[in-house]
Amino acid sequence: MVRKEKFTPLQILALTLFAIYALLPLWWVIVTIFKDNGQLFSTFGLWFGNKSYLSENLNTLFTRQDGIFTRWAVNSIVYAGTTALGSVVVSAMAGYAFSAYEFKGKDALFGLILATIMVPSTALVLPLFLMMQKMGLLNTYWAVILPGLVNPFGLYLMRLFWDAGFPKDLMEAARIDGAGEWTIFQRLGLPLVRGGLVTVGLFAFVAAWNNFFLPLVAVSREDLFPLTLGLSVWNQTSSSSGQEPIYTVIVLGSLISILPLVLAFLTLGRYWQGGLANGAVKG
Amino acid sequence: MVVSRPYLPRTPAVKPSRGTPWLFLSPFLVLFTLFYIAPVMYAGYLSLFIKKRAGFGAAKEVFGGMANYVRAFQDTEFLSSLLNILKFGVVQIPIMMLVATALALVLDAAKNRLQGVFRTAFYLPYTIPSVIAGLLWGYLYSKNLSPFNQIVTALGGGRVDFLGSDIVLWSIANIVTWTWTGYNMITLYAALQNIPTDLYEAARIDGASPWQLTRDIKLPLLKPSLLLVLIFSIIGTMQVFAEPFVLRPLGYVPDNITPNTYLYLVASRDGNFSYAATLAILLAIFTFLMSAVFLRFTRRGGEL
Repeated sequence: MVRKEKFTPLQILALTLFAIYALLPLWWVIVTIFKDNGQLFSTFGLWFGNKSYLSENLNTLFTRQDGIFTRWAVNSIVYAGTTALGSVVVSAMAGYAFSAYEFKGKDALFGLILATIMVPSTALVLPLFLMMQKMGLLNTYWAVILPGLVNPFGLYLMRLFWDAGFPKDLMEAARIDGAGEWTIFQRLGLPLVRGGLVTVGLFAFVAAWNNFFLPLVAVSREDLFPLTLGLSVWNQTSSSSGQEPIYTVIVLGSLISILPLVLAFLTLGRYWQGGLANGAVKG
Repeated sequence: MVVSRPYLPRTPAVKPSRGTPWLFLSPFLVLFTLFYIAPVMYAGYLSLFIKKRAGFGAAKEVFGGMANYVRAFQDTEFLSSLLNILKFGVVQIPIMMLVATALALVLDAAKNRLQGVFRTAFYLPYTIPSVIAGLLWGYLYSKNLSPFNQIVTALGGGRVDFLGSDIVLWSIANIVTWTWTGYNMITLYAALQNIPTDLYEAARIDGASPWQLTRDIKLPLLKPSLLLVLIFSIIGTMQVFAEPFVLRPLGYVPDNITPNTYLYLVASRDGNFSYAATLAILLAIFTFLMSAVFLRFTRRGGEL
């Protein structure tokens, strides 16, 4: 075996140092949600204060502006959930077309789609803003969901999963048995690329949950904000003069907003890593 | 097209019609056209118009040809935003890739339970939205409550203003490094795990040292993954927006710290969408050129 059983002390040291760097801000978050704003400035940042203000912070978080934080959380779930589901369906079908069929212009089309990964999101979102304004889509759920449904990277990953997981002889055999093309895709194909569906869905969910620029431009009504946008607006108003700062409440809100993603990765992380390995090796 | 083959005992498979793949592609292609192709074309169209103000009347959009592009190349604010992001990329990307590669190699060296713990710790930052990462680090940087400053002052040093205009670019670089190093490390680590063990065995029999193993087997096989990480890092760097945007209320962050923050201000503050569209197109072209240069460069060079 090439891989040894144990790390050398030097290796452990390097890994530990980086782990501290990665986890330090999260530790600060855990400590800070127990503080009030006064303690935030008066106590040591990396350790707890002498009194817990967690319940006060929770109370402020969920009652401020008539409990709009809950609304933002629901919005985030709707945006990310719908985007993930929709983009899995769309990418699975398109990836299947590229993997299972031969057709004219296939390579050129695939190349064109991949090239758009390089287009900065601002180059898309700015004109989209004007287009959606004309179509009356601004300040609707659709404005945030629809653009996220197409995901060139998701299509690329999905094609790799179809290439690797779906033998073409199976397709021929099913055709001989008289199965239609859609039946082959749905009944025979989809179960074979289940891992790919989870991977692509996970990527799309994270991308939608983290999206900031699109909602920033597409929705201006506070009750349509996702968590990212809402918390950033609270940070802005909290920092301007004349307002009582609520930094520790924002930190608590931040922690709650990242929990779903952390949980998703702790439970589905193996799919995600598999996806990365596939994408990277063949890329 | 059904070709009859009378000697086959079973009925021949019905060949799918030529339109079938396009039916599977249609949802993607419709959305792709609406939300990728159309906006890019529209941005290109918009960029040909300029805002003209006549007297006290409202500004009008009139055809300006390449005027916006000429303006962009003379716009010192835009050019310095490009310079900023170039400085950022030249420093941040190599550091991040070096650390990610080193960590992936170290993590790949042994196989035990610790490995999983470290892996989880490393990729946790990636799951945190860049806005939230910006907020959290913004507080950690803030002059009056930064624990780093608390430690420095306790040791007798002076406070550092992480959000001061001269170092804020590097404070942002740190947030990006924090978010993405672990993610890239996992990509590289996964590629290392995919290297077949018999390659190692063969090298072992030839008496290769661990360092030779790394240099002659692991690094060359990592090349495609490294290239992928590099290209995605370039694309990501050109688009840095959320971190500087949320840091703005907390400290002094110049309007044009990145091309995207400048572009956003041109659109939202000045309402000049045609000029913003021009900048967006230029940014897309720069990103494309930069990625193409690296792809060409590494392909022709053969070895990294």
